[in-house]
Amino acid sequence: MQYFFSTYGQMLLKAVFTHFYYVLISVSIGFCIALLLGILLSRIPKYSKIIIPIISIFQTIPGIVFIGILFIYIGMVPTTVIIALSIYAIFPILKNTYVGICEVPEPYKEAARGCGMSQFQILTRVELPIALPTIISGLRMSTVYTVSWAVLAAMIGLGGLGEFIYRGVGTNNNILIIAGAIPAAIMAICLGLLIDYVQKLVTPRGLREENSK
Amino acid sequence: MIEYKNIHKEYQGVSVINNINFKINNGEFVVLIGPSGCGKTTTLKMLNRLIKIDSGEIYIDNKNIMEVDIENLRRNIGYVIQQIGLFPNMTIEENICVVPKLLKWDKDKCNNRVHELLSMVSMPYEQYAKKYPKELSGGQQQRIGVLRAIAAKPPIILMDEPFGALDPITRDILQDEVKDLQKKLNLTVIFVTHDMDEAIKLADTIIFMDKGDILQIASPEEMLRAPANEIISEFMGKRGNFLDAENMACSDLMRTPVFTIKDDKKTLECIEIMKKRQIDSLIVVDKAGIFQGVVTIESIRSKGKAGEKINSLISKDFPTVLQDDVGKTAFDLLMDKKYDYVIVLTRDNSVVGIITKSSLAKALASVVWGEM
Amino acid sequence: MSWTLIFQHLYLVIMATIGTIVIGLPLGVLAYLNKSFNRLILWSVDILQTLPALALLGVIMVFIGGNSLTVIIGLILYSLLPIVRNTYVGLTNIDPAIKEAATAMGMGKFYKLIHVELPLAFPVVFTGIRIAVVTSIGVAVFGTFVGGGGLGSVIYRGIHIQNMNLIMSGTLSLMAMAIIFDFSMAWIEKKLYQK
Repeated sequence: MQYFFSTYGQMLLKAVFTHFYYVLISVSIGFCIALLLGILLSRIPKYSKIIIPIISIFQTIPGIVFIGILFIYIGMVPTTVIIALSIYAIFPILKNTYVGICEVPEPYKEAARGCGMSQFQILTRVELPIALPTIISGLRMSTVYTVSWAVLAAMIGLGGLGEFIYRGVGTNNNILIIAGAIPAAIMAICLGLLIDYVQKLVTPRGLREENSK
Repeated sequence: MIEYKNIHKEYQGVSVINNINFKINNGEFVVLIGPSGCGKTTTLKMLNRLIKIDSGEIYIDNKNIMEVDIENLRRNIGYVIQQIGLFPNMTIEENICVVPKLLKWDKDKCNNRVHELLSMVSMPYEQYAKKYPKELSGGQQQRIGVLRAIAAKPPIILMDEPFGALDPITRDILQDEVKDLQKKLNLTVIFVTHDMDEAIKLADTIIFMDKGDILQIASPEEMLRAPANEIISEFMGKRGNFLDAENMACSDLMRTPVFTIKDDKKTLECIEIMKKRQIDSLIVVDKAGIFQGVVTIESIRSKGKAGEKINSLISKDFPTVLQDDVGKTAFDLLMDKKYDYVIVLTRDNSVVGIITKSSLAKALASVVWGEM
Repeated sequence: MSWTLIFQHLYLVIMATIGTIVIGLPLGVLAYLNKSFNRLILWSVDILQTLPALALLGVIMVFIGGNSLTVIIGLILYSLLPIVRNTYVGLTNIDPAIKEAATAMGMGKFYKLIHVELPLAFPVVFTGIRIAVVTSIGVAVFGTFVGGGGLGSVIYRGIHIQNMNLIMSGTLSLMAMAIIFDFSMAWIEKKLYQK
């Protein structure tokens, strides 16, 4: 054990950091794009009925493909990983934003219009707050997936915790596999829990019971 | 004043509102009623432009609502819906303050208003302001729904079947509260319902609609007494038998037998009788039973002398009706509030009965709910 | 690329799905019947799905080496969540009046479960199975890294030798497989709910 840490400690720390960096950047970019697109789609429900299923089909493309294709066109740079992961992070958040907003019950929207709110005010004061728990569960999904797919960064030699797993699998070194897998698992679980906590924090008391299940 | 002029509306080629016209005065409580699909809700929602008008104009105080900024229009019209629609992400206080905030009231003003409104419906600020809609009962939620509508002091309130989802007791209480608020604040209320009892209880004017047409605009009494056509009387008929209401005469409303005294009685005797019967006036007839007038306790006390006959104290100035007169005549006299009862006479002036408020209510009740 | 790889992929997914149903259904029932287990069970399957797929496969490989069984076990663990949760939710959401009626007729707990509750919960369980299948199709791609074969190997090779055609053929087969399963199962699901 001690031998392992003295040999790989520094490297492991760096890998954790790189991995986390990929996840953080990609999810942030993905979240912003997805939120905007989700809101946009919710404004044009007619077209969204066609667009959303198409997006769902694209969602079946595994992350490895994004990374692979971008690798071929952009090359072995961190941007490749970040773009691929960002694209992948978009889908769950986009879908949940759209669904969350569309599922805001009509009476609330009608009451808001009746109160004289503008479209923008209805969005920011009623629709988004009510949809927020749904949006955040999309964020959780994206984050967990991204931690998972970020392992693939190592496939094109760009570090992260995947490097340990790859090397371990390649050389039949179980310690290396575990050394990569355990921190990745912990990272996913911790980020999941963190987002659960954030979700609780930002969900107003009036909406909580509804989503307790 | 609100004025609907030639309002027309179609959905997919099917006309749902057919060129309707009506006016609503300030401070009037108007109830739109009719079977489902009659266009009442559409008519209501056109006023705050939740539903587009196809043709025709609506004026509020002689201003075409299409020329008013849509959000400003809505901020100045309170709106209450059946599903309540309190925003679940906001506290009670925040819900009440939605429109005041949109109108950029400052914090203190908003806060004062919330205090004021909550106390109006006896929901203490400390106990309720910070709660969320979910934590309130349905009746309490709708109370807040009403407060939210009147928070920014709009002169007009629209209510779309606001109490339809509440239990009968809560509904009754809220109806009273709304009527009180409306009178106190002199609000113009347009209220949609399909419940005739509710309409009669609340309305100054009932507008009856069917298939996009207005069939009758009348006060509740008038509509009860003289429904314009079969559809209306059938609609009201669900509540009881109204065929008699139309022809109801004073004789149907009176109480019999009636106690009278002969005109040769003495003053002290009369006082004795009044004391014994706990009344303050007596109906006087002559030997043949012909109506002479009424003696009141005041007139005996102020002008009468002990031992004197009552002839000179009889007042002829008392409301009487003939037994064949329409019931409404007696109703109107009683509503004057100057007298406690109306005397019913035959054509040859003999007394057959009296109509009091309670005999009137009882007679109407039997019409509404059947024989009692 | 050959059909063999597609069938290999299908084999992984179907075996895993069967395994998931065999394990997940009883777990869901247990969570429903025993309130003290339900938090533990639901929490565990939730954590399992949170784990990065490759990490999970790597750890399993440490124990049983790299082969298709590794992939199948990984997929089972990974897709337990939708089936366990939907079994639990499906059973919990049955109209209490029906449950009461069944008890009142003298059905035992087990009899009631088999003859009344599970049939009623089945559409919801089926939705869980559909989600599990579609997820597995995607996750099985990782199989190639632990020697489990499947379409992942085509894509992986394509990336390595930078052959766009190879990548695309793998990806499109994968997408087609996911869509066919998703749609056909959604269709069955609709029929089930209509009953």
